[in-house]
Amino acid sequence: MEAPDGSDEAAGEGSWLDHAGRVAALYREHHGALVALLQCRLNSRADAQEIAQEVYVRLLAMDHMDHIDSPRAFLFRMATNLSVDYLRKRAVRAGLPPEPEEGDWASAPLPEQHAWAVQQWRKVQAALRELPAKTSRAFVLHVVEGRDFAAIARDMRLSERMVRYHVSNALAHCRERCFAPEMP
Amino acid sequence: MDTPGSDEAIARAAADWWTRLREPEPSAQTLARWQAWLDADPRHAQAFEQLNALGELLRTAPAPRRRELLEEFAPRAARARRWPYALAAAAALVLALLGWWGGWSGAGRQAAPQRYASAVGENRDIRLPDGTAVALGAASALTARYGDARRDVELAAGEAYFAVAHEARPFVVDAGPLRIEDLGTAFNVRRTGQRVAVAVTEGRVRLSPAGAAGRLELAAGQQAEYDPRSGALSVSPLPAGHAAAWREHRLEFVNEPLAAVIANVNRYSRRPVQLADPRLGELMFTGTVNTTTIDSWIGALPHVFPVQVSSFADHVVLSSAEH
Repeated sequence: MEAPDGSDEAAGEGSWLDHAGRVAALYREHHGALVALLQCRLNSRADAQEIAQEVYVRLLAMDHMDHIDSPRAFLFRMATNLSVDYLRKRAVRAGLPPEPEEGDWASAPLPEQHAWAVQQWRKVQAALRELPAKTSRAFVLHVVEGRDFAAIARDMRLSERMVRYHVSNALAHCRERCFAPEMP
Repeated sequence: MDTPGSDEAIARAAADWWTRLREPEPSAQTLARWQAWLDADPRHAQAFEQLNALGELLRTAPAPRRRELLEEFAPRAARARRWPYALAAAAALVLALLGWWGGWSGAGRQAAPQRYASAVGENRDIRLPDGTAVALGAASALTARYGDARRDVELAAGEAYFAVAHEARPFVVDAGPLRIEDLGTAFNVRRTGQRVAVAVTEGRVRLSPAGAAGRLELAAGQQAEYDPRSGALSVSPLPAGHAAAWREHRLEFVNEPLAAVIANVNRYSRRPVQLADPRLGELMFTGTVNTTTIDSWIGALPHVFPVQVSSFADHVVLSSAEH
C-alpha cells in the first residue's frame, strides 16, 4: 500500500490512504499469529487464510480506526467473532454439529503429504496408547470428534477445566512423539 | 520436571494455549498474553504451528480413520455418532459451490483477476475458482485471470505447486520468460528472477520459452530448468521426492548457481543472506537446504565453499574466504 504522495489532493483520500497503510502494517505484523489463531479454531489452514482475508477486507472498508484503542486487540476480536460465525454456518450447512469435509489422503495434492499424514497418524495412535484412558478419551472426543469442552465434561463427569487439562496433556504428548527433535 | 525453555516445556505451554484458544470466546487478555508468548521465542510459534498441523490432520482425516480412533479410545461416543456419507458429500458440494461463487465474486462471465501472495517464511494453500489446488511457497506471488475460454496464471515470483483441475479451458502458467501449458497435470514451478525450474509429478506440460520458436513437452518424473543467460532449457530426471519438497521444509538444488540458491533460501530466512562478492554467486551448489534450520546450513557453507560468514542481527553476509 503506497503512502500519500504529499500533493494537496482531496484530504479525504489522503486519510483513507493513511488508514489503508495502517491496515497493511497490521497485516504485515500480525498475519502469522492471526492465521495461527484461526487455524487453531477452525482446524483448517485454508479456511483460516480465507477468514484472515475477510478480516482485512472489513478493516479496509472502515473509514478509519481512530476510535479504536488497540487496533491489534480489535483485529483478533474480529477474527474470533468471524470464526464463531463461520463454524455456525458450517454447522448449518451440514444441518448437524460441525463435521469436517470428507478428507481423503489418497487424493492429497502431493504424494509426500499423503505419506506424511499416514505416518503421523500412526505416531498419534501409538502416543495415545501410552496415555491414561481418561486423557486419550477426552482428547479424541474433542480433537477427532469435534465436541466442545462442556459436552465432554458432562459426558465424562469432569469439570471443563479438567477436560481441557487432559486434552492439552495428550496434545503435548502427541506433539513430542510426532515432532520432537531427534537426539543426535 | 521440565526445564523451562526445554522442547518439552515449550510443547506443554503451546498445548495449553492451543486448548485455551479453542474456548468459544477467549478473552482479549488471553489473546494478548498468547501473542506475547508467541513473540518471546521463535520456537513458540513453531510448536504452536505443529499443534495446528496435528489438529487439522486429526479433524480432517478420512472418516474410517477417525472412527477407528474413536472406537479405540472413546468407544461409547463412537457408536452414538455416524453421519451418513451422502450428507457429508452434499455438504462438500455446497462448500464447493460457495467456493466457486466466492472466487468469482458474482462477476458473471468475466472474473476479476485474483491475486495471491505469501510472506517470507509462510507457505499458503490456495484453491482457485475451478478447484485447482495451488500450494504457494514463501515470498511468492501469483495472479489468476480466468475467462470464458482460458485459465491464465502468472507467477510473478517464488514457487508454486499446481494440481490442476481437468476441464476444457486450457490452463497456462506464465513465469517470466517461460510459459507452461498444462496437459493434464500436477507440476511445480520455481521462479528466481528470470531463471525458471519446472518439475512434473503427474501427466505432462508443454514449455515454451519467450522469443524462441521451440516448444518442449515434459512428462511426469522430469524436470526442466530455463537458464536466462543461455536461453537454454535443460531437461533431467526428477529425483524421487524432489518436486515440491519445499512443502516439507526442504529446498532441493541440483547444480544451481549459489546466487539462485541464496535467493530461494531468503524466501524462508528471517535474516536475509547477502553475497558480498558477486563472483560467489557463480559457484554451483547441489544439495538440500532445510528451511527450518537455515542458520546451520549457512554455518556449514565455509566447509564446502571458499566463503566466510558474518552474522548480524538482521542479515548475514557471505564473503570470499581469505587465505
